[in-house]
Amino acid sequence: MAVSFQQIEEKLKTEARRLLESGEVSLVLAWGKGYDEKHPMPYVAKCPSDADGIVFNEYCTHNPARYLVRYPRGTKIAVAVKAADSRAVVQLIQEDKVKRRDLVILGIPVYGIKNPKTGELIDGKTTCGLYNPVLYDVLIGEEVHGQPVSSPYAVLAEYEAMDRDARFAFWKKELDRCIRCYACRKACPMCYCDPCFIDQRKPRWGEKSPEPAGNLMYHLTRFHHLAGRCIDCGECSRACPVDIPLYLFHKKVAKDCEEMFGQAAGMSIEDKPVLVNFRMEDSDKILE
Amino acid sequence: MSFEPKILGIACNWCTYTGADLAGTTRLQYPQNIRVVRVMCSSRINPSFIFRAFQLGADGVLVGGCHPGDCHYNTGNLYARRRLAVTKKILEFAGLEPGRFRVEWISASEGNKFAQVVTEFTGQIKALGPQTKFKIS
Repeated sequence: MAVSFQQIEEKLKTEARRLLESGEVSLVLAWGKGYDEKHPMPYVAKCPSDADGIVFNEYCTHNPARYLVRYPRGTKIAVAVKAADSRAVVQLIQEDKVKRRDLVILGIPVYGIKNPKTGELIDGKTTCGLYNPVLYDVLIGEEVHGQPVSSPYAVLAEYEAMDRDARFAFWKKELDRCIRCYACRKACPMCYCDPCFIDQRKPRWGEKSPEPAGNLMYHLTRFHHLAGRCIDCGECSRACPVDIPLYLFHKKVAKDCEEMFGQAAGMSIEDKPVLVNFRMEDSDKILE
Repeated sequence: MSFEPKILGIACNWCTYTGADLAGTTRLQYPQNIRVVRVMCSSRINPSFIFRAFQLGADGVLVGGCHPGDCHYNTGNLYARRRLAVTKKILEFAGLEPGRFRVEWISASEGNKFAQVVTEFTGQIKALGPQTKFKIS
């Protein structure tokens, strides 16, 4: 890679300091120092001196776009995003959760982010595999040329080919393990409902204890709520303390949506999310 | 005793429910396995209704709405069509037989179609047998 993580970090710091000093933004969302090198944490810089706390290394997996919806509307925010993260920003703009004019997007084209848990490279297998941010104001570093190594949906082939009963057994085994810590929901940049359907008492949609029935209800509904909105950052699976491969189901739903409605989530701010849109000429075949 | 499936029918007030009414008033015979819930529009159907129905022991779910373009609220069923298509894909990927969930457009004047769809669907569910995958034991 042409630009090192060190250079990106320096440039991020400079840019953050400039934005905060000029008063262009009131906060910068990025990554900061964690308890060790391998675990950088999401970080909010609120004044120019905070900018020195920004860190960027190969373990910066978190998606700072997650925190955009936590601030009152109209707050001027600069957000540092990697390629997949920028799709979250685009999707949030589509859903009118944030305004484009309130944002300064610091796009980081990057390849080589690693999962701190496994040390594996995060690529098209667990995420959308994009190298370059789809939307940015300031590009930190240089655009990475070349196509993603594999199609983001290639990993699904194995599961789609599975026998239906085997697939049910697979998901049952995975979802039964869920401890309902809701880390997937909290790590997800697109999960912002307040209250979440599972927290509602009336109607009570599903059991709240970490037991198979409630787990199935929670996860299936969550997959549905993210249909056509999931931007495939894979953060849910990385946040999961019991390693449920949630990204597989999200990828499958994203793939189906793309096939049926011809639009991937978070690629253009002109688009409308597929499930709040329709076309007269949608075919009834999709229901078969 | 032979297996008598429990089928949840969710019918839109303006078309399918009225169609079901027509089937009744014209004395058409159809299986009694369907329990119909009336909603104001097919787009009123929260996909969680369907997941929950399967959890609470439904062997099949039949959703009825107006024909696309005929919605009482103009566009409701067009949103529903997309949404329920996603629901179907999710159920299938989770491992449920896709035949257990069906969406049909039945207008207020199609009493015949209602009876025919319910008969056909009940037969299909009988062939599939009891739904045990999602059911809370």
